Amino acid sequence: MLVVVASRHDEPAKALVTRWAAHDARLLTCEDLSVAGWRHYSDGRRPSRAVISGREVGVEEISGVLTRLPCVVEHELTHIIPVDRAYVAAEMTAFLTAWLTGLRCPVVNRPTPTCLSGPNWRPEQWVYAAAQVGIPVHPLHRRVSLGSQPGSAVSHSKPVTVTVLGDRWFGSVAPEVAIQARRLADAAKVELLAVRFSGPDPGCSFVSANIWPEFGSDDLLDALLAYLNEKRRTTY
Amino acid sequence: MILLWGLPLDGPLAAVHEALKRLEVPVVLLDQREVLRTDIELVVSSKIEGVVRTCDLTIDLSRVTAVYLRPYDSTRLPNVRTAGSGSSAWYHALRVDDALWGWAELTPAVVVNRPTAMASNNSKPYQSGQIRSFGFRIPDTLITTDPSAAREFWATYGTVVYKSISSVRSIVARLTPEHMARLDTIAGCPTQFQQYVPGNDYRVHIVGNAVFACEIVSAADDYRYAGRQGAPVEIRSCELPNDCAERCRALAAAIGLSVAGVDLRYTPDGAWYCFEVNPSPGFTYYQEASKQPINEAIARLLAQ
Repeated sequence: MLVVVASRHDEPAKALVTRWAAHDARLLTCEDLSVAGWRHYSDGRRPSRAVISGREVGVEEISGVLTRLPCVVEHELTHIIPVDRAYVAAEMTAFLTAWLTGLRCPVVNRPTPTCLSGPNWRPEQWVYAAAQVGIPVHPLHRRVSLGSQPGSAVSHSKPVTVTVLGDRWFGSVAPEVAIQARRLADAAKVELLAVRFSGPDPGCSFVSANIWPEFGSDDLLDALLAYLNEKRRTTY
Repeated sequence: MILLWGLPLDGPLAAVHEALKRLEVPVVLLDQREVLRTDIELVVSSKIEGVVRTCDLTIDLSRVTAVYLRPYDSTRLPNVRTAGSGSSAWYHALRVDDALWGWAELTPAVVVNRPTAMASNNSKPYQSGQIRSFGFRIPDTLITTDPSAAREFWATYGTVVYKSISSVRSIVARLTPEHMARLDTIAGCPTQFQQYVPGNDYRVHIVGNAVFACEIVSAADDYRYAGRQGAPVEIRSCELPNDCAERCRALAAAIGLSVAGVDLRYTPDGAWYCFEVNPSPGFTYYQEASKQPINEAIARLLAQ
């Protein structure tokens, strides 16, 4: 079973589950965390159980996970009374952090204590990391003053996106640019990352990075499925 | 220059501030109560630079060599709460906090502690995995939405406590027969149950390589709230066995914490359990009772 962890409003995630239906793909949303059936034991001696798409399953049935959720947010918890939503959101996020970390199957991207999918970096951290791995960057300015609005980003006429998945990359960019994106993914310790550059050629500068790439390309989706299956065979 | 960020009357912040003044090192306190009069400019490329301005201060962040972070959520400050959620004051407070936390992630200064390192305590079961890898025991734990699983776990261990999964502070309490009637409510949210571990509590403060251990004698389930149970608390300085002290030191270092509060329990059969590693310990509660110079050690760490 493949599990896609996502917001219940995440339409691309739902479409992905439909596309991967033949591989028993299922959606895990915060609603599943409010269904009796979860059992997560710390000692690993007793079988842990999960609730995925409303159905109770053994954790050993899960063969791979794609996470498209940074955290559980209050406003999704409409089934919880308002006064409890902030606490429940924090508890659900903390539980998912531990649960995803403990899974013995591929999890893309693996959670960190700050985010359920990779690092929860601010734009400043991405710019800094890009510069550290040798990608040209434009200095990022942030000004905070009462009454002022957040500054607008530097505009780039034709930015291009390269999406890194393990050792592969997708996007119409020069190989040198793809290698830089790969280095940035390594620095962030993620397997899946979309990186925008100011253009497709060597020497182009960093624009932004996104842990949750758009699923516009069938090639990327097929590669993601193959990646999860292959990694399970070779690693777990 | 050493930067302190937080509320002047916060116990640990005030204690470190006093110790730094005694060391006669340059120190500046960014008073969080001034958040609505705080402006920040940051520039990030291969390095991070910036300036923080308040009515009375201009802080060149490039000159900061060390920082001690003890802020509260600025949106909970009285003047921001009064302005209300969604107000320009509220958004400004959020942006100030975010900018300073972001700077603290990237600055080459000594940071006590980096936000990312502090985050390990956001999920107690996640942190338990780190703790176990350093040779400490952790209580058998069940996180469940299944009332029948909770009852089985309770039957297995006889005495069980429940506590929050996240860092949202909750009181550790024993499960009692009165809870049985409302156990079905756990279906709404995963709930953490742990075997009760008998023994004496220890709080170990790690400051760099220094170890300050306290033994806490109390009959309460959670000694921090012993007063509510009418139970006395005695805190006294003690020495840990070398291997235990070394494990505490290594654990804090592995998580990336140069200052940490490690909660241990020593059982009657001689086992050390570790419950959690606090990344921003309120050490003054222990220091006042034990007379350990923890604030002096933190000040020296910042000043070195």
